[in-house]
Amino acid sequence: MVEAFAVASGKGGTGKTTSTVALGMALADRYDVTVVDADTGMANLLFHAGLADVETTLHDVLVKNGAPVEAATYDRFGMSVVPCGTSLSAFEAVDSGRLRDVVADLAADTDVLLLDSPATLNSKSAVLPIVLADRVVVVLNPTVPAISDGLKVQEYALSYGSDIAGTIFNRARGDIDDVAAKADRYFEGPALATVPESDAVQAARSAGEPLLAHAPDCPAAAAFRTAAGRLSPNEGDAADVAERFRTAVIPDPP
Amino acid sequence: MIPDGELLRSRVLTALAPALSDVLNRRLDGYALLSSRSSLLGTDDESGVITFEAGVPVLAYHSGTDRGGPAALDDIGPPPYRFELYALDADALELPHRTDDLRVPPGAVAERLTDEPSLADRTRGLAGEVLDDRSEDTVEAFLEDEAAIDDIRQSAREEALDRADEWGFADAIED
Repeated sequence: MVEAFAVASGKGGTGKTTSTVALGMALADRYDVTVVDADTGMANLLFHAGLADVETTLHDVLVKNGAPVEAATYDRFGMSVVPCGTSLSAFEAVDSGRLRDVVADLAADTDVLLLDSPATLNSKSAVLPIVLADRVVVVLNPTVPAISDGLKVQEYALSYGSDIAGTIFNRARGDIDDVAAKADRYFEGPALATVPESDAVQAARSAGEPLLAHAPDCPAAAAFRTAAGRLSPNEGDAADVAERFRTAVIPDPP
Repeated sequence: MIPDGELLRSRVLTALAPALSDVLNRRLDGYALLSSRSSLLGTDDESGVITFEAGVPVLAYHSGTDRGGPAALDDIGPPPYRFELYALDADALELPHRTDDLRVPPGAVAERLTDEPSLADRTRGLAGEVLDDRSEDTVEAFLEDEAAIDDIRQSAREEALDRADEWGFADAIED
């Protein structure tokens, strides 16, 4: 195990899941990567990774006496992908506190763990991935609400002892260098990349493929590869990291 | 172009301001269908649609004239009309909201279709807070306001610490 990252943004629609999967595919060239849909309330990783029809998901793992996480882990696009289901009743049965154990299990067997986090900070299950991660990738759009909510994510992460891996400015239209430079003063960690708005992103999602598989040569895909290259995952000891997750803070059952 | 939402209410209005004000107060994501006077009489089925993000009008379109943006507001005109209000997840509106031709300035609906300029002002004020304003000037002005940004960060830190006990994260807090 090298490192666990939460990919987070304070609001929806920033392209967080697209970013998670793109970073995962780019890092998979050099590392053994596992991507987890930690947004148990509004899952959409499955649609990005061609897993819309799978039977067993993280929901089935997070219930009492649930399935082992291996049953919900799928090899796709060179990564291990753990999707969540979209059923509301399944979500309601989920004990999000079990996510900690799942993350510990997965951490023992992979180099880089990417947690696609909920686009909100309004519940402990939503904040848990940020708490569990070593570092947080903050996905921004060049808009006031997205930057403002990204700052909140950063402060939550720092308050709970997680570091900031850097920021990605996604869905940029035209030149936003001035905005990115001004925002950089307020964020910890490097500006990882500015990703241009691209029709290929929607096309990739419609095709049920990650952007880097659907349109590997488009400028957005290149920007995500740049971001992944700047992440420099820390070398760590697998046993140490797994143990750290097992002994991490235990939220009360919901 | 816009998926079906959940019908919240349907009624004939003689003034639009109270309905718009209610939508704004609820910070509603969704849309309203405004059926023209002639359609109230059953002579046609033309209607206008106005979408809302966090209660602020974003798009306007009129099916009878096929015009969008501020021109559609002229086509919709003053009440009376049937006002059907639908809730719809903001994510479902995200794609239609990229259609720049149909966009209206945040205060335009209240300005043109009501007699309450204060509602237009209030809508513009909230739009600055909640909408995805992509104008680079707006974003840069926000980023230059160091005091406001420090305030956001400080509030978030306090909120995170307050909730740590509640959520059982207290052990994670670094001294």
